[in-house]
Amino acid sequence: MPGSIGPRSIGRRRIVVTGIGAVTPVGAGREEVWENLLSGSSGFAPVESFDTSRYNVHAGAEIKEFDPAPYFSRLDPQTVGRATQLAIAAARQAVDDADLDLDSVEPERAGVVMGTTSGEPREVESFDDRYVAEELEQVGPEFITRYPCHVIAGCVASELQLAGVNAMIPAACAAGNYALAHAFDVLRAGRADVMLAGGADSFSRITYTGFARLGAIAPEVCQPFDRNRKGMIPGEGAAVLVLEPLERALERGRQPYAEVAGYGLSCDAHHMTAAHPEGAARAMQRALSDSSRQPEAVGYISAHGTGTATNDRLETRAVKRVFGDAAYKVPMSSIKSMIGHTMGAASAIEAAVCALAVATDRIPPTAHFEEPDPECDLDCVPNEAREQRVDMAMNNAYAFGGNNASVIFEKCRT
Amino acid sequence: MSAETSHQEPAARRVVVTGVGVVSPLGDSPRDLHAALTEGASGFRAVTLFDTDGLGARHAGEVADFAPESYLGRVNLRPVDRTARLVIVAAHLAFEESGWTRELREEHDVGLVLGTMFGSVHTISSFDRRALVAGPSYAKPFDFANSVINAAAGQTAIWHALRGINSTVAGGTTAGLQALAYAAEVIRTGRADAVLAGGADELCFESLYGFHQTGQLCSEGDGGAGHAVPFDARRDGMVLGEGAGLLMLEEAGSALERGAPILGEIRGHGNCYDCSRGTGESAVDAVERAVALALGDAGVSAGEIGAVSAAGNGSVLGDRHEALGLAAALGGRADLPVTAVKSMLGETLGASGAFGTIALLESLRSGVLPGIRGLEEPEEGLGLEGLSPRAREIETRLGLIDAVGLDGNVCALVIERIDSEELSAQLSGGA
Amino acid sequence: MDVEQIRSKIKDVISNVTNIEPGEIGDQASFIDDLQLDSLSLLEIGVDVDYEFKLGVPEERLGELRTVQDAVELVQQCLAERAA
Repeated sequence: MPGSIGPRSIGRRRIVVTGIGAVTPVGAGREEVWENLLSGSSGFAPVESFDTSRYNVHAGAEIKEFDPAPYFSRLDPQTVGRATQLAIAAARQAVDDADLDLDSVEPERAGVVMGTTSGEPREVESFDDRYVAEELEQVGPEFITRYPCHVIAGCVASELQLAGVNAMIPAACAAGNYALAHAFDVLRAGRADVMLAGGADSFSRITYTGFARLGAIAPEVCQPFDRNRKGMIPGEGAAVLVLEPLERALERGRQPYAEVAGYGLSCDAHHMTAAHPEGAARAMQRALSDSSRQPEAVGYISAHGTGTATNDRLETRAVKRVFGDAAYKVPMSSIKSMIGHTMGAASAIEAAVCALAVATDRIPPTAHFEEPDPECDLDCVPNEAREQRVDMAMNNAYAFGGNNASVIFEKCRT
Repeated sequence: MSAETSHQEPAARRVVVTGVGVVSPLGDSPRDLHAALTEGASGFRAVTLFDTDGLGARHAGEVADFAPESYLGRVNLRPVDRTARLVIVAAHLAFEESGWTRELREEHDVGLVLGTMFGSVHTISSFDRRALVAGPSYAKPFDFANSVINAAAGQTAIWHALRGINSTVAGGTTAGLQALAYAAEVIRTGRADAVLAGGADELCFESLYGFHQTGQLCSEGDGGAGHAVPFDARRDGMVLGEGAGLLMLEEAGSALERGAPILGEIRGHGNCYDCSRGTGESAVDAVERAVALALGDAGVSAGEIGAVSAAGNGSVLGDRHEALGLAAALGGRADLPVTAVKSMLGETLGASGAFGTIALLESLRSGVLPGIRGLEEPEEGLGLEGLSPRAREIETRLGLIDAVGLDGNVCALVIERIDSEELSAQLSGGA
Repeated sequence: MDVEQIRSKIKDVISNVTNIEPGEIGDQASFIDDLQLDSLSLLEIGVDVDYEFKLGVPEERLGELRTVQDAVELVQQCLAERAA
């Protein structure tokens, strides 16, 4: 095959992050979430959104006391599902955080790309409850009008009146990164002037049941890279980043948090649920080559770090494969130790963390870390946040289906 | 529209179609599908996949007697659900036509971008119901693995050894066209050389019942599905369908070099959103805008488009918005031949954009555009005069496909008929 | 239920997951070495066997299954425990 893959032939605009919004199990809004992650907060508690008495695990990372109303001005929050509510909240926060006056943006040149694992699972769960209760006649039109996942990106656009490119990328647990990557390309190609990109998922009985059945859920806390780690803990949340070309940000007097340097996607083509280090390594290598950077330039890795025995071991191996000896010098933490696995939102929240690490030279810890695992022997920033220069941060995410995505953020030199 | 769009410059890397795989209610090859559409065949039949007792909707564009083993041999398909089976077979057919043998796929990164509305809502719902009834410890691990919406893309990658970019695009009924646009873009921008792209959705009880409860399906008489006739004055809703359609997209130079069949070219695309979510006048503007974006991206004028494959599915409001938007975008071309293959295939959701593209590509290649089955009396004032119940001869290289979602998404794609001799001459001529 | 009936039902379950004819599955076949199953398929079989006999097998015992014979013995034990 003629190897004509190389630098992109079109679109060399520099794309930056100017706004961050997030709703997580440890708080909402950029400042609160960031401070709580740096201080090692924990978002784990017994599941409340459904009855877990028939399960052998009960821990979850739910968002308690979320009121969507303040974030809505056009749509009625009661007419959309919970993931959409979380997404709209994060999007509104991101726009405010970016100090973006939406009236000054041509609506046709502003768009939305979101990622998710499950869309609006509560709508299908409610369908199933009625099916089992033989009350199917009570299923209303909302099953179809609220459930399909593309509704999330659509409602964000509708609420904020963004009439440009709109896409939903359901790449499971790597979906946030996929969405950011796609929005990055849309902006680079000049197809929009501003993009909101991120991910959202609501706490789902279906997801919980599945991971419980796989024996993948930890009883109390999530302990990535710890020798005695007992698994992941499902969570929920949303994060949205405002992306725009650098010159546009500067024109309106905004100092970006970070620049998106590049990304890499790959597919294991190996197994639906078991990751493979080769595919993860390829995504990282592609992200580095897309960014024209060497591994040594990376100052922080936000790990996928789910806290399952296999993931953390394979991920460590993949990072070593790409970084060689430099792997031991790069801090690599997992915020899933604090907010659990927020599914499609996870890599979007972690992207926000990477942008903030680059902006503030601070690195959030891997919480609940007790005993090192010889098979996970990289620097996971145990328990204490760190102040350390971060010129460049890599955000890794891996998903069911063997979908891998790495996105790189760097300090924005202007 | 802003002038500052670098993508309107001709891109150095061109994207061609080198193979097609299709599993549809009207055949499993692009030629058979096109022949059936040209004859005005109907893909609607009484549903056999599940019990429709008590359901107002009993007909659909089902892929009858779908037997993946007849394509794939004796293999273990148990870990793979119907949506993924449709995709795996369509991919198999597309690789056969385009010459991507397993050996080649093992050597080179081939990507997959799949559009879908539901993935498999049947798998998701069955998984949940088993756990509800029998208890969570009896939840099925295979079903959980397939409960993610990207499961079909992941399973197909495993099946066919596809290690390149693998992505799933939702977007309701626009998903398939969005996936083609996404794939064309990653090739154009140098992120990939070869990406299989298109869309799929299965017919299942959950979606048929759900759509029935929205009132979006057409009425049913004793004789079968009712007036799901796109753009017809008497239309009263859609008929659901299913299937998978995939196009093998490749960078033009590398496709030529490996001696691949060249069937056509993806020239450009446009994607935008209607903030009224398909309920207001802005829906018309969104269709007009998406088409204008696609034309601009392709660098062609409305006057050069010689045929349109429309999204019309029989929905009262959606078809009207689409027609008015198309008429506005293609201004002065009221007589332009327009087909709407959902009149025969039904609303195949994530697959529909791919089916519309495959049908139009075959039409450009054969010079015959299918008609709109059942069209008797086009609604007045739609601005489209090129609607016909019968197939017509067309003489054009350039065609437009549009996809209009049920709730705001709009996408458009411009394709061109081209063969390897023409492409070779253009590339060596430095064009 | 006698051991042959149990074994036959278990082989049906395995066949349904693997598409291997029940007759081709040996009584002592190892799930990993002979049938080349991955952990997900193995879990699927464990869940289906449990469901077939409605045993309520504890998690850790499902994870210990290595061969068809292990599964047969596990079912026998659980049925005996239930009867007792």
